[in-house]
Amino acid sequence: METIRNYLETMFAKLPVTFEVQKAKNELWQIMEDKYTELLQEGKTENEAVGIVISEFGNLDELAEELGISNVVLQGNQKLAGNLRHVTLEEVKDYLHDKTRAAYTVALGVLLCIISCCGYLLEISWSWRGGVYAMCFMFLAIAAAVGLFLFSGFVMGRWKFLKQRGCSVDFATAEYVHNRRESFRVTYAMMITIGVILCILSVLPVLIVTSLFSWGSGMGPALMFVFIGVGVFLFVAAGNVNAGFTTILSLNKNDTMGGIFVPSQKQVSYKNDTVSQMMSVYWPTVTCIYLCWSFLSFDWHITWIVWVIAAVVQRLIRTIW
Amino acid sequence: MSSISSDIIRGYNDTIILYLLWDAPSYGYEISKRIKSLTDEKYVIKETTLYSAFTRLEKNGFVESYSENITMNGKRRTYYRITAQGRQYYHEKCAEWALTKEVVEKFIKQDGGE
Repeated sequence: METIRNYLETMFAKLPVTFEVQKAKNELWQIMEDKYTELLQEGKTENEAVGIVISEFGNLDELAEELGISNVVLQGNQKLAGNLRHVTLEEVKDYLHDKTRAAYTVALGVLLCIISCCGYLLEISWSWRGGVYAMCFMFLAIAAAVGLFLFSGFVMGRWKFLKQRGCSVDFATAEYVHNRRESFRVTYAMMITIGVILCILSVLPVLIVTSLFSWGSGMGPALMFVFIGVGVFLFVAAGNVNAGFTTILSLNKNDTMGGIFVPSQKQVSYKNDTVSQMMSVYWPTVTCIYLCWSFLSFDWHITWIVWVIAAVVQRLIRTIW
Repeated sequence: MSSISSDIIRGYNDTIILYLLWDAPSYGYEISKRIKSLTDEKYVIKETTLYSAFTRLEKNGFVESYSENITMNGKRRTYYRITAQGRQYYHEKCAEWALTKEVVEKFIKQDGGE
């Protein structure tokens, strides 16, 4: 039964999801299901029944006119099928494996970058010898991070074609990826939540250490960076793993069967061209402002307000233009 | 044994379906099964051919479709019913076939050209 369902889904995979197409699919499914059930009752084996049903299915080209998809079937089949690179289930599994590994590699790199300054925050760095250690730690951390970035870049290099040329996956593969994403959902939510909590709590070490020990003030900021680093690690890792699923699921266009798992992505568009160009650098600018202000004033306890204001401003701009 | 050419029979799929709906409404698989058994499996209609004929007949008003629950668990099936127009059309097609057959018959050697 599953085989027949998949066969039907594959046959329809490249067609637009219109009312007529859905109707045809349901109707054909009814007939196939009836036929399959009866063949089994007649004593045919499952394989025989599947074989008969599929061999008597016919050709979708015959329906082109009825479904109003002549252009899709006739031209589409030749043009698209020729150019589209079919990505197999095995390849998709490989891709997801690589993508997950790259996600953690990159996240680790980011974590190292963030904590690379920790050495300088510690009290021992005030001595000459401590300063050397701190510098060593910083360069080692950054070197390791760059190494990790390069490594994941190389690993992901062989998957570049997924984004560059038209690719498609069949229904079974799309379903597989969809299930993987569903089972990752809880983990994803946990990672993001813990990440957010860690970032919020990152001020705690500063407060606690400064209030408890008058001598260990360097410890607080260092711990704050560790907290933020781990938080960001979780964001980056979770986000990248999830992006892998989305990449595969959005290979098929939104209006085909395989694409139905990806909600049509809302393309934010600004009517005014200048505004839309300016908005493309909006968040980088905000990040820049946040970091500059924070590092210059060290008022970390208040600078986060930038994000809130920025979000409100963006919403306003989006409404107005 | 020669098999039937789908190009030739295509023009008469509608007639076949209308004939099978004449006495009572029916649904996709039943019709395909009856075509197979009435022709001693000499003509097996493809699913897509059948569906394409249904939509064409319905568009022309020769059949009507309705959906019916067939089991307790809510499985639905589309049934087709012949209309008065459909019966009219069937008569026309029968007449057309009689003529076609008569004409083509003139050119068919009784011994098959042996």
